[in-house]
Amino acid sequence: MNNDSIIEIKNLSKTFIGAFEPAVKNLSLTIQRNEIFGLLGPNGAGKTTTISILCGLFPPTSGQVTINGLNLHNDLEGIKQIVGVVPQDIALYPTLTGRENLNFYGHMYGLKGKQLKDKIDVWLSNFGLTEASNRRVSGYSGGMKRRVNLIAGILHSPKVLFLDEPTVGVDVQSRNVIIEYLKELNRQGTTIIYTSHHMDEAEHFCSRVAIIDNGNIIIEGSPKQLVNDNEGCSNLENVFLKLTNKALRD
Amino acid sequence: MIEKLLAAIKKETLILLRDRVGLSSLFIMPMVLIFVMTLIQDSAFKTLNEKGILIVFVNNDKDSMGYAIEQGLRSSSLCSFHDSINGVPATEESAKKAVTDGKFLVGVIIPKGATQAIRNNVTKLVQQTLNTDSVPVASDKSSVKDSVDITIFVDPITKKSFLTSVSSTLREFVSNIKTKIMFKTFADQLAEIIPDKKKTPYNAFGQTQIIKFSEVYASKGFGEIVPNSVQHNVPAWTIFAMFFIVLPLAGSMVKEKNEGSVFRLHTMPSSFLILINGKIVVYVIVCLLQFALMLSVGLVFLPMLGLPVLDIGNSIPGVLILSSATAFAATGFGVMMGTIANTEQQGAITGSLSVLLLSAIGGIWVPTYVMPEVMRHISVVSPLNWALSGFYELFLRGGGVKDIIIDSVKLMIFFVATMSVASIVNRIKRKV
Repeated sequence: MNNDSIIEIKNLSKTFIGAFEPAVKNLSLTIQRNEIFGLLGPNGAGKTTTISILCGLFPPTSGQVTINGLNLHNDLEGIKQIVGVVPQDIALYPTLTGRENLNFYGHMYGLKGKQLKDKIDVWLSNFGLTEASNRRVSGYSGGMKRRVNLIAGILHSPKVLFLDEPTVGVDVQSRNVIIEYLKELNRQGTTIIYTSHHMDEAEHFCSRVAIIDNGNIIIEGSPKQLVNDNEGCSNLENVFLKLTNKALRD
Repeated sequence: MIEKLLAAIKKETLILLRDRVGLSSLFIMPMVLIFVMTLIQDSAFKTLNEKGILIVFVNNDKDSMGYAIEQGLRSSSLCSFHDSINGVPATEESAKKAVTDGKFLVGVIIPKGATQAIRNNVTKLVQQTLNTDSVPVASDKSSVKDSVDITIFVDPITKKSFLTSVSSTLREFVSNIKTKIMFKTFADQLAEIIPDKKKTPYNAFGQTQIIKFSEVYASKGFGEIVPNSVQHNVPAWTIFAMFFIVLPLAGSMVKEKNEGSVFRLHTMPSSFLILINGKIVVYVIVCLLQFALMLSVGLVFLPMLGLPVLDIGNSIPGVLILSSATAFAATGFGVMMGTIANTEQQGAITGSLSVLLLSAIGGIWVPTYVMPEVMRHISVVSPLNWALSGFYELFLRGGGVKDIIIDSVKLMIFFVATMSVASIVNRIKRKV
């Protein structure tokens, strides 16, 4: 592992029990420290499976993963300390208030007392949720839920943040706020691994992207580089469609 | 670690407190259940004991036995005696119709010549015994039958136990009058053989009660605990309610899985066990609160409705140990069902049906001693049966800690077993 890489994946494969085809096939990838790395691909390409393995949700069938020098197989608890996850689903308790949700998840990350309260206050304020913080999440708009969902994953200032479609279903204002604060987090030293179907957002947000299809990476590089290298493509979406073709996916 | 557990407990408590429908199902529904079941059973007892079974009586005999049975039924607390229907003396036909129409539960018809038939039978018997021809027999032998057929019309809705009570009472009356007749016949015969012997009064035998029955309820502690519908129903339905915690508990676990919270928690540096422990602490406390509330129903609220006060026996430590063990068993069962179920519907249906099944075989609905032998053997596998037998030890037999310790240990083993199953299922499900 070189000094600049924070995640190294070697020959990662995952075949689910009962499945005929592997969801991830011999995938190798290196993500540099302080990158905003986009993992892009059509539905069923293997993005969520890869991220789920990286954050320890289930083990790979084969392959090696190290995150910040820690081996996924041996140091899972250590990795969980430095990793933050923002799932695509709104993983919040609807009958609890925004603050109560953050308080609970903060404690689960090992935060407590004034430190936790201050962090919650700061992030609620940053995301314009201070006034709504004592209202139940069930009464929040989609954008507000998405913002609380994000805060729950970054309260403990993770070194690596996995974002699975963090802006899906939110209005332009909320998306803008979310992207701005993610960039700020990145500037403060958090490496971000991001999946999305918004090619335009990925093109502007990510420093580097990889396009994954059928469980393997078919191309990686900076968005600009990928656009330049693919003849006839004026943006990342063109590149994506060219490489993954236009056939509908399940 | 402690902070994480406290946070999990706080989260679980808040979620539970804000689920008003869930809370009402945990506390109000069981209270209503205890009220209803106890009142129904108490009312059933009163129907039998106070008001009596509605009986229409037709005395075609007009002789000793008919009058004796009539007098006996009139004075019996078992029956509400009627010998007329709508002011008209009952006949065999009208009595049968009245029972068929549901106006009476039972109709008793004493046939004509019943007493005389008994007299003839007894006389024959006495003659054979004393080997004498001097005793007069019935004047019109041909008109008297050798056997007595007492007809009992029964409304099909009448409980078998009620019918058995009436039949037993009638048999007792018939037996009594038969004995009297036999005694008198013997006395008359002896008077003829030994003329100087002073005659024994006709009813002397009936006045001599040689054997008396005293019903004393066996109790291990001080004083006697009288069994009644409250003593039986309060513990039974409280256990049932405690196990019904499986519904909200399994529901909350499935909801957490489906809403993504479990996904997030699995990626956090916290043991999943902390989340489960948080649930266990909260739901065990809820179970104990349920138990306290149900006891208060038996101690305070049921007596306000004229029902007996619940007697909780002599062992408070026993009650605490057994109720805690029951609470853990119920909570463990809920965690297991919540882990196995994939959807809230699955959790609700399998959870409620399994509790109903375990309660049925465990003797909550019908006491195990009236079950067939096979079911009695099966009932011992139900944790509700262990809890119920423990509470019966405390509340009915006046037992102490040593009498409920085995049941309590069984319940705690059940808790450990269900948690182990939950853990294994959770591992299997995560091994995708």
